[in-house]
Amino acid sequence: MMKSASTLIDTVPTPKQKQVKSTVFSRLRKNNIAFAAFLFIIALHLLVFIGPLIWRVSPEALTTHGALTGWSLQTPMGTDEIGRDVLARILHGGRVTLLVGLTSMLFSVFLGVVVGACAGFFNKVVESILMRITEAMMAIPNFFFVLVALTVLGTSPVMVVIVIAVSSWMEIARVVYGETLKWKQYEFVEAANAAGASPLRILIRYVIPQIYPSIIVAGTLCIAWAILTESAISYLGLGIQPPTPTWGNMLQNAQQYIWTAPILGILPGVAITLIVLAYNFLGDGLRDALDPKVVRKK
Amino acid sequence: MSRFLLNRLGQSIVLLLIVSVITFFLINLAPGGPSAAMRMDASEAERQAIITQLGLDEPVVVRYAQWLGSAVTGDFGVSFSTSEPVLERILSRIPYTIELTLFTILFAVSFGILFGIISAVKRGSLRDHAINFISVIGLSIPAFWLGLMLILLFSVQLGWLPSSGVGADARGENFSLLGWLSYLFMPVLILSTTILPNIVRFTRSSMLEVVNQNYIRTVRAKGAKERYVIYVHALKNALIPVVSIIGVLIPRLLSGAVITEAIFGWPGIGSLIIQAAQGRDYPLVMGVTMFVTIVVIVCNLLVDLVYSKIDPRVKNV
Amino acid sequence: MKKVLWIAFSITSLLFLAAGCSFDNNDDGDVTNNAGASNNESSETNGNNTNDSETNTNDSEVAAGEPGGRVSIPIVADPTFNPWHPNAFAESNVINRVLFSGLTKPGLDLVPEGDLAEDWETSDDQLEWTFHLRDDVLWHDGEPFTAEDVAFTFNEITLNDELGANNSSYFNEVNEVEAVDDHTVIFHMNSPVAAMPAYLSFNTEIIPKHIFEGEEDPWSVNSFNKDNPIGTGPFKMSEYTSGQSVLLERYDDYHGETALLDEVEYRVLSDVNTHVAQIMSGELSIFALDDLASVEQLENTEGIDVLSRETPRFFWISLNQEDERFQDTEVRQAMVHAIDRQNIIDTTLQGFGTIANHGIAPALEEYYNPDVPGLEYDPDRAIELLAEAGWEQNEDGILERDGETFEIDFEIGIQGDLEPISQLVQQYLIAVGFDINLETMEWNTMIDKVVIDRDYEMSLNWWRYPADPDLYAYLHSSNAGTGNNIPGYQNDEMDALLEAGSQESEVADRVEIYQELQELMAVEQPYLFLWYPQEAQIRIDSLQGVPELAFGDALHYINEWYLQE
Repeated sequence: MMKSASTLIDTVPTPKQKQVKSTVFSRLRKNNIAFAAFLFIIALHLLVFIGPLIWRVSPEALTTHGALTGWSLQTPMGTDEIGRDVLARILHGGRVTLLVGLTSMLFSVFLGVVVGACAGFFNKVVESILMRITEAMMAIPNFFFVLVALTVLGTSPVMVVIVIAVSSWMEIARVVYGETLKWKQYEFVEAANAAGASPLRILIRYVIPQIYPSIIVAGTLCIAWAILTESAISYLGLGIQPPTPTWGNMLQNAQQYIWTAPILGILPGVAITLIVLAYNFLGDGLRDALDPKVVRKK
Repeated sequence: MSRFLLNRLGQSIVLLLIVSVITFFLINLAPGGPSAAMRMDASEAERQAIITQLGLDEPVVVRYAQWLGSAVTGDFGVSFSTSEPVLERILSRIPYTIELTLFTILFAVSFGILFGIISAVKRGSLRDHAINFISVIGLSIPAFWLGLMLILLFSVQLGWLPSSGVGADARGENFSLLGWLSYLFMPVLILSTTILPNIVRFTRSSMLEVVNQNYIRTVRAKGAKERYVIYVHALKNALIPVVSIIGVLIPRLLSGAVITEAIFGWPGIGSLIIQAAQGRDYPLVMGVTMFVTIVVIVCNLLVDLVYSKIDPRVKNV
Repeated sequence: MKKVLWIAFSITSLLFLAAGCSFDNNDDGDVTNNAGASNNESSETNGNNTNDSETNTNDSEVAAGEPGGRVSIPIVADPTFNPWHPNAFAESNVINRVLFSGLTKPGLDLVPEGDLAEDWETSDDQLEWTFHLRDDVLWHDGEPFTAEDVAFTFNEITLNDELGANNSSYFNEVNEVEAVDDHTVIFHMNSPVAAMPAYLSFNTEIIPKHIFEGEEDPWSVNSFNKDNPIGTGPFKMSEYTSGQSVLLERYDDYHGETALLDEVEYRVLSDVNTHVAQIMSGELSIFALDDLASVEQLENTEGIDVLSRETPRFFWISLNQEDERFQDTEVRQAMVHAIDRQNIIDTTLQGFGTIANHGIAPALEEYYNPDVPGLEYDPDRAIELLAEAGWEQNEDGILERDGETFEIDFEIGIQGDLEPISQLVQQYLIAVGFDINLETMEWNTMIDKVVIDRDYEMSLNWWRYPADPDLYAYLHSSNAGTGNNIPGYQNDEMDALLEAGSQESEVADRVEIYQELQELMAVEQPYLFLWYPQEAQIRIDSLQGVPELAFGDALHYINEWYLQE
């Protein structure tokens, strides 16, 4: 009995995923800016994750060249206010910054998907509680809480990631909620339901795969947001703390030297802007590529 | 309508309670204490005396109950760091934040709608792409970094604009419009970047939707001039949803104000919360978060009301 | 529309250009010219009401040394106009020194001089200090100042344990203050305190009895503390705008020389970078620069003087003595040898500091001995000393003893230069094999952890103390655990010297005691003494008459300041 039910579920037809994926990619390729952004993101990740293996200068150790020197062969981007190699710090700082962006996004997507999917899939009570919480969280100027939370809870990298994620999952939850509502009416989901599959199984096996595209778009934009937030809280001295470099705290540090050595502030600032820009363009591009309306027009 | 209001009121009270509980326990259970008790060279006796004076020797739950008891009567207590009533401190700061955010909304909405329309009308043109590109840049630049760069340009290099403050001199008896605006210019510009791109994009998509609707086609078919079609018929209807996004953007605007005020030494509510959190001024932290949450709730309510008034489709919300 | 885009584009590109230029042009003083330009600009837009700005002084009628004008001083937060109030921090001190007067004030050599008191003596057993007060002092509201005010301030405020008044711990040994007649007070002591006159000159100004008498809680008298203070100083309150500025005006019935300046303005500017920007544009007159990164630029700016001033402060590293690894004198000495302090002074402090071998700063000329042998930068010697204590580098270059590596959690609060300094110290210690885990935290959290709970291994900070060599509070074993003896260092020999010094009132004998103490400190390193920082005093050059003292002490002489073209 049980067995036959599950075979039935597995034979329920689902929309063809592969085809969708390939069209998405080809559409993305046609969007020059988004595709360039995509390549830039890959290149930058390769740079900061592989770069330090080639440029093996420690980001924390003092060079022998002194503080605030200009560029030279030994220190291609000069040294910072206490004499550390800026190139090494940019590379290692990039690692941390991008990792914070990625992990915050993953955590935030996880929260968003759980809340959104549950709200969309289960009964009215669950729905209204979860969506009220989501709306409430969106209504609060959450930066005030980010600030208070980080001031009092401390600023370890884990705490920074948690606080960023907790303050940014709502948008994803809303998107996922809307999509779940839409998909759960489709025949193949109803068929699975009729076949007696557990709600959780239906959710994971049939609904969530359908909303991957929206999650990917939201997630991409979420990384951009997380990186920006990390830099903003660093500016207030509440981000990941030195000696661990991040682009955010390098920027905060450079603020004191804005009069004497503005280059220290320009480099990480440009780096943050470019990566956030790239993620935003990619997110926009993906959204267009996945939007059926755009298909019709083109 | 009154049922709608009651419903919203109920939700708001629950929201406020949740926010107050989280904030209260968060700050009270964290390490550190009020600055007065946390002087580096204070003796143990001095610390104890201050803790007792501030009533911090009571258990947290008791203190929360006390706080809630007086908060519902509108009494938010006395600031630990200045011994002044919390409400007084907030009210003395709030005009600056209102000034900053109002100007920002004015600036962002007028330019946002303008660029949004251009973008929609000339869809696919170079201008559309350029506006879109700049919007994304606006979304991507860390606001404080842009602020520092502006200071570097306008204050350090050119010496045109003051780098910080509200220009007390230009406000008093020696009021000068130019002086006043020179202080306002950079903060407004920076705070605008947090909402301007959204308004542009939203106006654009809203315009595009309206332009494709039947009645516009009818107007057009009747032979009305294109300008007339766009600015009278389309714009009127396209702006309706834009009102709603302003409501959504208010929390974001207030969050942005924290950073903007910090960069430009603007003595508003944002710099107050930073001071309050760092100095563990518990009553002030509570007061500011409650105040801000209430402001946001009221703004959203107003926006919804206005929205239901101007949009004939939204009735009996 | 093209125009708008074009403007947007040009602004963006200008930004990058501008940023690049200013970096290149630093050395040839280009920025100076711009500051000049901004100066003109601001005087045009702001009207010409400010006499403090350079350009305006040119136009005004104020001639050299003549009275008039206004100086502007930055403060970082809203002040509290009551020197004893627990919320009166540094930003309040610089105002309260001008509004109020103490019994004594630091003299030009930092030796206490009379202010409200004309002279004083101590009884043979040193258990009574008698102060003879001036009889010509009026409060700003016209009431006469008497011995009752002094007795009230101490008995009801300072010595009231429930209030936890600022600095009250300096007066722990005072039993009672007695007003003998209108102009004589006696401090009755539990045990002798030689530094009494010095303590009385350090943020311990007298407040009026006729205002505070009968008030249940002096800290909540906001009409005084936050609004309209009544003092005896050379300037009185004129206007206070919360979050923006405090304006004081000359008090014509001041008991000393009547002030030359008309007004003193304090601007509330929380960001230190703004202080620099505003003194360059002529909006500020004088301050002590905490963040030394901008020193070079200020030095290159015409019309601004950067002066170096000694202050009684020392920077230290505290090693928690509960941890037996740090009880070895060799380990402590090795750590000092490992740190290139001169390099830190030259880079991070821009030269504003002197290497410290002990805790008595050169500001205390009578007591400071520059010839005490110190522990110079010598990493090899550090490694030798560590070897003597049993610590040898393992194959990873990390110190190890009995299979245990030398791992240290280094916890500091975020304030001023502490962050870059600690990162440098960390690198120097890593270089000789320590495994240092630097953890920076918010100031308030650091105080909780390091100062209150003593739950730390290593920390870095500084002490600022009254102009007296009495370091009892920071070093005596009775202050270990909960007092200001942060490392919790205990040494009988040092205790004996500290006790003798704090009770001896004969200067020659005191000097001898503290000479001995300096030598002992230099060897024992109860704190790892780093350096005595000098204050970088930033001043517009039209401001004259400021004595050669640290900014905070010079404020006691603000009645002598004047503006000159």
